[in-house]
Amino acid sequence: MSGRDDITVALTGNPNAGKSSLFNAITGAHQRVGNFPGVTIEKHEGYTDFQGRRITLVDLPGTYSLTPYSPEEIVTRRYIIDEKPDVVVNVLEGSNLERNLLLTVQLMEMEVDLLVALNMIDEVEEKGISIDVKQLQKLLGSHIVPTSARQKRGIDALLGHILRIADGSIEIGKNKLAFSPEVEQAVEKIAALLSHERELDGKNHRWLAIKLLENDREVYQDVQKYPVWVKVELALQEAITECERMHRTDPELLITEDRHAFIRGAMQECVSLPNAEKASLTDHIDMVVLNRGLGLPVFFAVVWSIFQMTFTLGAPLTKGLQFLFGLAGRSLAPLLPDPLVRSIIVDGVLAGVGGVVVYLPNIVLLFIGLSFLEASGYMARAAFVIDKVMHRFGLHGKSFIPMVTGFGCSIPAIMATRTLKSRSDRLATIMAIPFMSCGAKLPLYVLLAGAFFPPATAANVMFGIYLLGIGVGLWTAWMLKSTILKSDSEPFVMELPPYRWPTIASVIFQARMKAVMYLKKAGTLILAAVMLIWAASNFPHSREIDARLTRDKARIQTSAALPEAKAAQLVTAATRAQADQLEYSIAGRGGKLLEPLIRPLGFDWRIGIALVTGLAAKEVVVSTLGTIYSIGHAGQGAADLSSILRSDPGFSQATALSLMVFVLLYIPCVASIGVMKKEVGAWKPVLAYTGYVLLVAWVASFLTYRLALLMR
Amino acid sequence: MKLTELNVGDRAEVNALGSEPKVRRRLMDLGLIRGTVLKVLRVAPLGDPVEIVYKGLYLTLRKSEAEGIGVNLIESDNAPEGKGKRMNALMRFGRAS
Repeated sequence: MSGRDDITVALTGNPNAGKSSLFNAITGAHQRVGNFPGVTIEKHEGYTDFQGRRITLVDLPGTYSLTPYSPEEIVTRRYIIDEKPDVVVNVLEGSNLERNLLLTVQLMEMEVDLLVALNMIDEVEEKGISIDVKQLQKLLGSHIVPTSARQKRGIDALLGHILRIADGSIEIGKNKLAFSPEVEQAVEKIAALLSHERELDGKNHRWLAIKLLENDREVYQDVQKYPVWVKVELALQEAITECERMHRTDPELLITEDRHAFIRGAMQECVSLPNAEKASLTDHIDMVVLNRGLGLPVFFAVVWSIFQMTFTLGAPLTKGLQFLFGLAGRSLAPLLPDPLVRSIIVDGVLAGVGGVVVYLPNIVLLFIGLSFLEASGYMARAAFVIDKVMHRFGLHGKSFIPMVTGFGCSIPAIMATRTLKSRSDRLATIMAIPFMSCGAKLPLYVLLAGAFFPPATAANVMFGIYLLGIGVGLWTAWMLKSTILKSDSEPFVMELPPYRWPTIASVIFQARMKAVMYLKKAGTLILAAVMLIWAASNFPHSREIDARLTRDKARIQTSAALPEAKAAQLVTAATRAQADQLEYSIAGRGGKLLEPLIRPLGFDWRIGIALVTGLAAKEVVVSTLGTIYSIGHAGQGAADLSSILRSDPGFSQATALSLMVFVLLYIPCVASIGVMKKEVGAWKPVLAYTGYVLLVAWVASFLTYRLALLMR
Repeated sequence: MKLTELNVGDRAEVNALGSEPKVRRRLMDLGLIRGTVLKVLRVAPLGDPVEIVYKGLYLTLRKSEAEGIGVNLIESDNAPEGKGKRMNALMRFGRAS
C-alpha cells in the first residue's frame, strides 16, 4: 500500500521536550494557528513537502500524561482517537528519558502507529549519556529516530520514517505492557465485557478498560450509557477490592506504578548515565536565583526589566507609529475636499486603524520577553518565588507577571495570561488585570491631582489610586475564585525545567504569532468599536454651529484687533464650535442622558461626555475634558486645562478624587474589551464583567465623593 | 511521617500518596510513586511552596499539596560536611587578617 499524497502526523511530547522547536524546524514558515474546538488551547498546524508528498503536522499541547484532569491532555487524546492521524510522533527529551517515557507507554496503550523522536540528542551526547536505541526499539515496538531540532539533525530521517509508516512498509510492534496480575486480570475481563457491546465496536477495548480502572471520568461517561455498564461496574468493584487486599492501594496507583516499573526496567537495560553526578549549571543558578534572601530581589529585577522593556523601549516605537498615522492623516487631508469624507477617512478610519496598531510594539516586545522567560526556564521559578502571595488571593504564581504588565497596558497583559493552564485561573487573572491602572490613565491623574492638590500631596493621591486599583483587582480575583470559579484550580505541582538558551527563531516566532493573532482577531473588533465611538462623537452634525463659526470667523477677521489677538480669538471660536458640536452629537446627548446617574458622584454632563468618549481609549478623557471645558474661557486655550478646572464652580477637589476613582475602575477601553472577548471566548462573561466594573466604579466613586465632601 | 514534616536537606522515601485526586494524579504522572527516594531541596523565599528533587526531576509543590505524601526518613542532612568545613576555613581566614 502506498501513494497517498496527504499524510497527517500528530506531534506529542512532554512540555520542554523541544516539541515546538522540532515542529518549527520541520514546517518552517508553513504554519497556521487556530484553536481546538471548544477550548482556548492553541492548535498549531503546519506542513512540509517531502519526496513529493505533503506531510501535515499537528503540534499537540505538551503533556506528561493522558489523564482527563487537564484540558491539554483531554485535547491530546481526543485528537488521537477522533482524528486518527496516520502517524503519532512522540518527541522525547533525550536527557530525561525516564520521565518522558511515561507518555510513550500511554501512547503504546492506545495502540497507535507510534514513531519516537529521540530529541535533543546533542545534549545527550554532551552529557555523556549512552542510549541503546536498538534495544529500546525492541522494548517499545516503535521505531526511534534520534533528532536535534536545534542542530536540524535527523529531520529527514524522521520524515522518511513517517512516510514508510504511513505507507505500511514499517510495521509498528504495538507491544502491550503487562500489568500486575490482579490488574491484568481485571483489564482482560473488562475488555472482554466491552467487546460484547455493539455500540463500542471498533473502539480499543483494552484501552477503555485500563482507563476505567484508572477512574477516568471521561471514559466513565462514555461507557456508562450502555447496558454493559452493569457488568463492568461489578468487575471494577471487584478489581478495587482485590488491589486493596493484595497491594493496599487502588488500581489507579497500581497501574501507574506498573508503567513506571516497565520504564525503570527499560532504562536499566538501555540507558547508562555517566557516573559522576556533579552539580549542573541549573543547580548553581538556582542556588542564587531561588535563594531565600536573593530570590525575591532577583524576581523583582526580572519583572522590572520585562516591564521596562515592554513600555520604555516600546514608547518611542508607539510614538513613531502615532507620528506616521498623523503624517498620513495630514498628507491625506488636502486630497479630500469634502469635509465629511475627510473626517470619515482621517478621523474615523485612519485613527481607528492607528488605535489598533499603536499597541503592537508593546505586544511584540512583551512576548519577546515572556517567551524568553518561558523558554529559558525562569517562568516556572518566578511562579515558585511569588506563589505564596498570589495563592492567598486564590491565584497561581504565574498570574503575577500578566498582572504587573497590566500597569503598562491591559491588552498585552490579558494576552499574557495564556501561560496559565487552568481556565478558572486565567479568567480570574484576566478580570483582575483591568484594575491594574494602565499607562493611559496616568495623564488624567497627573492633571487632576496636580490641579487640586498641593505638590506634596499629589503624589500620595496618585499612589493611593494605584493601591486602590490593586486592592480591587485582587479582591475581584479572590471573590471569583471563591465563588463561581471555585472548581478547577491548577495544582501548583510543577517541574522546574533545566535552564536553556532559547533559540532566537522560536522567540521571534512566538512574538510574531501573537502580533498576527492580535491584529486578526482583536483588531477588527477594536477597529469597529473605535469607529463607532468616533461616529457617536461626530454625528449628528449641526449646520447651525458651523454657520455660527463661519460668521464668527468673518467678524474676527474684519475687526480692528491686533493680529495676535485675532489669532487667539479664532482659536477660541473654533474650540467653542468644536465643543458645541460634541455636545450636539450622540456622545454629547449620551453624556447629558447620563447626568442623573452620575450626579451623585459629583459629575455633570460634561464629565459624562468625557467618560463616554473615554471608552475608545483612556487618554481621550483628558482631551475631551480639554475641548468641553474650554467653552467660555476665552484666550486661555486648552493648554491650561488645570486652571480652568480649578476655577470651574462645578469642579471641586471631591469631584477630582471621585473622577480619578471612576476612571481607574470603570470599563477598560474597547480595545481591551475586544482582547478580553478573544481570550475568554464568549461575550456573556465579558458583558457581565462590564456590568460589574461599572457597579464597582459607581459605588467606589460615590463613597469617595461623599467622604471627600465630609472631610472638607 | 509526612513530607511536610521533613527539613531542607532531608532524604526520604515515599510510602503513600493520599492527596486529592487531581494533585495525586499529577504527582504520579511526574513519577512520584511509592518507593521514590526524594530530597527536600529548598523552601521558597516566602515560606511556600517547596522544591524537592528525585530521579533528576526538580519539582515544586505547595505545602498543602505535599500534605498527603507519606514518607520514611532515610537521612537527615542538617549539618552537611562541606558546609562545616567551609565555615572553618572562613574563620581561619578571619583570624589571620
